[in-house]
Amino acid sequence: MATDTDTGRVEEFGEVSRVRGIAFEYLSLGASVLGIFALAVLLIYVTIDAFDLANANPLWLLTYFLTLVVPFLGFCLYSARDRTLTRRAVTVAGGGLVAVAVAFTLVETFVGQVPRLNWQLTYLFVVIIPLTGYLVYMGARGRPGSVGFGMVGRLIGGTAIGLAFSVLFLVFDERLWFLAYTLGIVPALLAYAYGRLRDTPAAVTAALPISILGMVLAVFVREVLRTYPTTAFIYLWTLAIPIAAAGAVVVNGRGSRTAALTAGGVPLALATAVGLFGRAAGLGVGGPNALLVIAVTGVPVAAYLHRVFDVGEGVSGLGLPVLLVAGALAGAFLVELFGIPTPSPWVSETFLTEAPSRTATEAGLYPAIVGSVIIIAMVAVLSFALGVATSVFLEEYTADTGVVGALTRLLQINIANLAAVPSVVYGLLGLGLFANLLGFGFGTAVTVSLTLSLLILPITIISAQEAIRSVPDDLRRGSDAMGATRWQTTKNVVLPEAFPGILTGTILALGRAIGETAPLIMVGAATTVFSPPSSLFSKFSAMPMQIYAWANFPQAEFRYGVVAAGVITLLIILIGMNGTAILLRNRAERGN
Amino acid sequence: MSNTETKPSDSLITTDVETGSNDRTAPSDRTAVAARDLNVFYGDEQAIDDVSMEIPEKRVTALIGPSGCGKSTFLRCINRMNDMIEVCRVEGDIEFGGKNVYDDDVDPVALRRKIGMVFQKPNPFPKSIRDNVAYGLKIQGFDGDVDERVEESLKGAALWDEVKDQLGSSGLDLSGGQQQRLCIARAIAPDPEVILMDEPTSALDPVAASKIEDLIDDLAEEYTVIIVTHNMQQAARISDRTAVFLTGGRLVEYDDTTKIFEDPEEQRVEDYITGKFG
Repeated sequence: MATDTDTGRVEEFGEVSRVRGIAFEYLSLGASVLGIFALAVLLIYVTIDAFDLANANPLWLLTYFLTLVVPFLGFCLYSARDRTLTRRAVTVAGGGLVAVAVAFTLVETFVGQVPRLNWQLTYLFVVIIPLTGYLVYMGARGRPGSVGFGMVGRLIGGTAIGLAFSVLFLVFDERLWFLAYTLGIVPALLAYAYGRLRDTPAAVTAALPISILGMVLAVFVREVLRTYPTTAFIYLWTLAIPIAAAGAVVVNGRGSRTAALTAGGVPLALATAVGLFGRAAGLGVGGPNALLVIAVTGVPVAAYLHRVFDVGEGVSGLGLPVLLVAGALAGAFLVELFGIPTPSPWVSETFLTEAPSRTATEAGLYPAIVGSVIIIAMVAVLSFALGVATSVFLEEYTADTGVVGALTRLLQINIANLAAVPSVVYGLLGLGLFANLLGFGFGTAVTVSLTLSLLILPITIISAQEAIRSVPDDLRRGSDAMGATRWQTTKNVVLPEAFPGILTGTILALGRAIGETAPLIMVGAATTVFSPPSSLFSKFSAMPMQIYAWANFPQAEFRYGVVAAGVITLLIILIGMNGTAILLRNRAERGN
Repeated sequence: MSNTETKPSDSLITTDVETGSNDRTAPSDRTAVAARDLNVFYGDEQAIDDVSMEIPEKRVTALIGPSGCGKSTFLRCINRMNDMIEVCRVEGDIEFGGKNVYDDDVDPVALRRKIGMVFQKPNPFPKSIRDNVAYGLKIQGFDGDVDERVEESLKGAALWDEVKDQLGSSGLDLSGGQQQRLCIARAIAPDPEVILMDEPTSALDPVAASKIEDLIDDLAEEYTVIIVTHNMQQAARISDRTAVFLTGGRLVEYDDTTKIFEDPEEQRVEDYITGKFG
């Protein structure tokens, strides 16, 4: 170009072949589509079985479609405020209906009967559910949508966390917790607050020893003291009041004192009223668990309401929970009115709250759900603590060179290899070490949790190391140059920055832990127990064990219906847990 | 204030005469940092070769020289940041306040609390602006009024007016030049005696760089500033003393900036400064 040739023009640039690249692109596309397609077909059938959709009357589907799904999609479109999107959504919904019906009829005519599917269900799974997912994603970008989903998420998440707490208190002694909280945590917090307000560093430093001392004291007092307040009062004092106080502090940070008192006080008062007097007043709900759930749900909801009204944008999104409840009620009313036959889903209240049974219709998963929740909680705490500690040590404290460096590398290689050891082998380890040698008992919550923690520990360590390694060295050097000790740099700079990544790894590993069956069989966990565990050392079961047991039952109802219901419950709990953790992680990322 | 902005330089030497000749022309009689027979090795490779120099208190001392000449290594020796590099070996003395910082009884962490450092690439922590500035106070257990000190430091770094309404927002939301001034505010908040700057403006645009230069000029009222720079004009504009390192980690010439830029003793230094070599 720069040097002029005779003509100054290039006759031809030639051509570069892209055949291999294109072939590779489509092969990878095909591979991923195949995997996702197989998984989707499986999930569709499990869902159909679990909710008995194969026998659902088309009118029943239509009713709920019109009262629940259509308003919800409308809400998403309203939030997205995008004419093109609306037009496209309507085209997809309408065109999809025709296309699915035609394609389904053609397949039925020329290929053969499709088992347990009709075109309405196919339309639901192939068109409506993906469309809903997409519209939720688009709607969440608009302010009303994000407010609405935030609200619904807090309502559902709060309830789930409240229920999980109450489940944990089935095995953990709430009286011991009451004493530990009263004697350890409260005095420590008071000392800390006093130290902060009065500028007395000694009081701040004393907070940690005070809490440890108080907790040790609590263990002794528990042996001696015989009279305790009721469970409802313990929940109120140790959980509801601190949660309300935390909510009030958060609101106070962004707004006025009155708003803070309201946001903390109203849910607390409601929880107390329903929890202590709900049963007596004939409300139908009440007791300590109701108190806990209302407090855990109410405070975040109140704080969120305050924020939404404070920002003043997308207030209409608060109507989403109302819209959904009203839609469900309207659907139920119409079904009742016209006498439309309703399907009887296997995932029902009985299934979630009753013990297993010999008859399929009475079978329940409750003891196994409780068992799984307890395992998840213990494994999460154990593997997170051990994993973070190990990875921090390996990444921040050990040297890279010399003898120490060589030892570190050896340790690294071993950890990586441990991640590949089959879970049955870990089961054997748990059996030998925890059940036999240490005497924690066969198939108890402690044995199972420790075994599963060991199982996922290598994965947790490796992912946490990866997260810590990805913290830029600039930040470490910046902190070091300020005269920070290694520990101060790790605590103040490295860990906060690595936290989202560490959380991601732990979540993935936890997902694996709750689905494990083989190590549970090895350490002798029961396939079926009829009452939820009452202590950490009582016999108990987990969801995958129970599902595995049901799958071997001779009756077809068990193998299709009940197993499907179990799988769906397991998946929902797993996805809910992962979803919550991912939301928390995203929040931590944005918090930066 | 320096008058660099009002009079654009037409040659290196005039610039230097004008800025170097502000209120700090007389050489300080007190030494803040002194190197004696300093040799630094990375493994077998020698990065600094027998350097001895005395850096005056409350002056701006510039270290210039081509890439790989050991000037950044020298800077990192002063607050013992080279300790972090496992293959690095230091021989000789660095005296700070009359004490050799490489003595066995010196805690490098305690030493760094007296010497602030600003890096080439702005590296604010992913925390709020306030927490960034208060970081040094927090880790050193400062028991005075943190907010007051944060405000003072941000004013000292000429950033207060731009960020006073958003102290709670993340330090990473600031522009590159603001981030670097935030890092300077962070470095001066615990009130160190010396501030080390390792090419603090090389990642910034000219406008942001000139703000930092003005700031360095002000900082020298209170602190001893030692700055590594690749930018000869910058060294001429802001420094009182200039040390020229050339390849092999040798300190070739160290004198008043005026002298170095007007009439260097060594031909090699003149070649380097005028761009014939380097």
